[in-house]
Amino acid sequence: MSEPQLVGFLCKWCSYAGADLAGTSRKKYPANIRIIKVPCSGRVDPLFILKALRLGFDGVLVSGCHPGECHYQTGNYRARRRIAITKKFLKYMGIEPQRLQASWVSASEGGKFAEVVTEVTKDLKEVGPNQLFTDERQGNGTKAA
Amino acid sequence: MEQKLRDEAKALLEQGKVDYIIGFEPGSLKFTTTPLITSNPDDIDRLVINPFIVNNLSKFLIEIEGRVGIVAKGCDSRSIVSLIQDNKVNRDKVIILGVPCPGMISLNKVELLAGKSRDEIDDITRDGGKIVITVDGKKKDFPVTEVLYDNCLGCELPTPQEYDVLLGEDSALVTDRAASRKKIEELEAMSPEQRWNFWKEEFSRCIRCYACRNVCPACFCERCFVEEAEPRWISPVPQWQDNLLFQTVRNIHVAGRCTDCGGCERVCPANIPLRALTREMYDIVDDLFHYQAGTDKDASPLLTAYELVETEDTFR
Repeated sequence: MSEPQLVGFLCKWCSYAGADLAGTSRKKYPANIRIIKVPCSGRVDPLFILKALRLGFDGVLVSGCHPGECHYQTGNYRARRRIAITKKFLKYMGIEPQRLQASWVSASEGGKFAEVVTEVTKDLKEVGPNQLFTDERQGNGTKAA
Repeated sequence: MEQKLRDEAKALLEQGKVDYIIGFEPGSLKFTTTPLITSNPDDIDRLVINPFIVNNLSKFLIEIEGRVGIVAKGCDSRSIVSLIQDNKVNRDKVIILGVPCPGMISLNKVELLAGKSRDEIDDITRDGGKIVITVDGKKKDFPVTEVLYDNCLGCELPTPQEYDVLLGEDSALVTDRAASRKKIEELEAMSPEQRWNFWKEEFSRCIRCYACRNVCPACFCERCFVEEAEPRWISPVPQWQDNLLFQTVRNIHVAGRCTDCGGCERVCPANIPLRALTREMYDIVDDLFHYQAGTDKDASPLLTAYELVETEDTFR
C-alpha cells in the first residue's frame, strides 16, 4: 500500500526544536511527516485539522510543550481542551480517531519526537488511506450501506 | 403572562430604562411569530407569548447598541449569559424579561399528527400536559410531548436562571432526554463508515445558505472562515465535502457556547438534522469538562479556561 501522508503542526518553542534535535542526533523516523511550524499548539484551529483531511492527508499530528511549560503560559492548556473536543467529535462524525493525534514533545526530546512519528505512522498504516472526502469511501470494517 | 410582559415592557420604555424592547409579535403565517424590535410604547400591545415563540432573540443583542429589554426563554437566557461571558453583551445594558418556558411546539410535528397542513388547522391550544388540535370544528387531544421540539424534550433549564423580571411561575416542563437524543442514538449504533455516509448524504442537500450560522447566537465572528479569500478554506460552491467541513468546524467553534436551542435545525431549508451534531457536542463538552453553556455568567468561556490536569489521554 502507499505510504501514509502525515501533516504535523509543531510548536516553534518545543516540538519543532525537538524535531531538529531528532535530526541532529541522527534519530531515524519515517519520512511520512510534513511539518508546519506554528507559534504555539494553541494556534492550531480545528479548521486546520479538517482542512488537512479535506486535502487528503491521512493524518494530523499536533505537538506542543508539556503542560506547565508553554512559552505563552496557557496556550497548550487551551490546545488540550480543543483537541480533546475535536477528537471526540470527529469520532462521532465517523472519522477514524487515529487520524488526529497529539503529543507533548519538548525541545530536548528528539528521541520522543522520533518515537511519536514512528507510532503515528504505524497507526495510520493500520487505518488505511484517507478516503473521507472522496466520493467512494471503502471502510476497513463494515462496508457502508 | 402576556399582560404582565406588556405592562413591564411598556413601563421600561416609558420610564426610559431601555431604548428598545425585543420580543415576539404574531407572524404573517398562521400560528407563527416573528421578532418585534421597537422603541415605540404604542407597539408594545403587539407583544405575544405563546408556544410558538421559537426564535432565540439573543442574537440581536450583539448588533443593537443601547439599553435593551429582551424576552428570553430558558435557552435564550443561557445564550445571553454565554454572550456576557464572551464580552459580547454588557449585562448592565440588558434587562432580561424571563419567560418560564413550557416547551415550544413544532408545527411540523402538529401537521404530521393531525394529518393536515397548518392552513387547514383551525386552532392549536395547550391545556397542561395535553395539546388540543381543532380541525373542522372537531377537537382532538394528544400528549404535549408528541409535538414539542426535540431540543425542548432535552431541555435542562426551561426557566431562565438569569433574569431581571420573571414573568411567571417556574416551568413544569417534563423532559425526556432519551427522546431528545433519539437521532444521536441511531447514529451511534452505526459503523463509522455508515455514520460518515449518513452525513455525506445529508450535506449533499446543503445549499450553503448559512442560515444556521446567521441565526446562531454562538456564531458571532465578524468575519467567518468560510468567507476568507486568502487562504480560501472552502470553495464557495456548495459541494458536500465543503458543506460538511463547514458544519463540522462550525460545531467545534461553538463548543461551550451552544445551548442546544435548536435554532440551526429549525431554520435549515434542507432539513438537515443539525441538532444531532449540536446536541452531541453539548454532551461531549458536559462529559469531558462538566461544563454547561450559559449557566454561570462569571465563569470563563470553555475554550479559554483550563484545569492543570484534565483529558490526559488526549496527548501522547
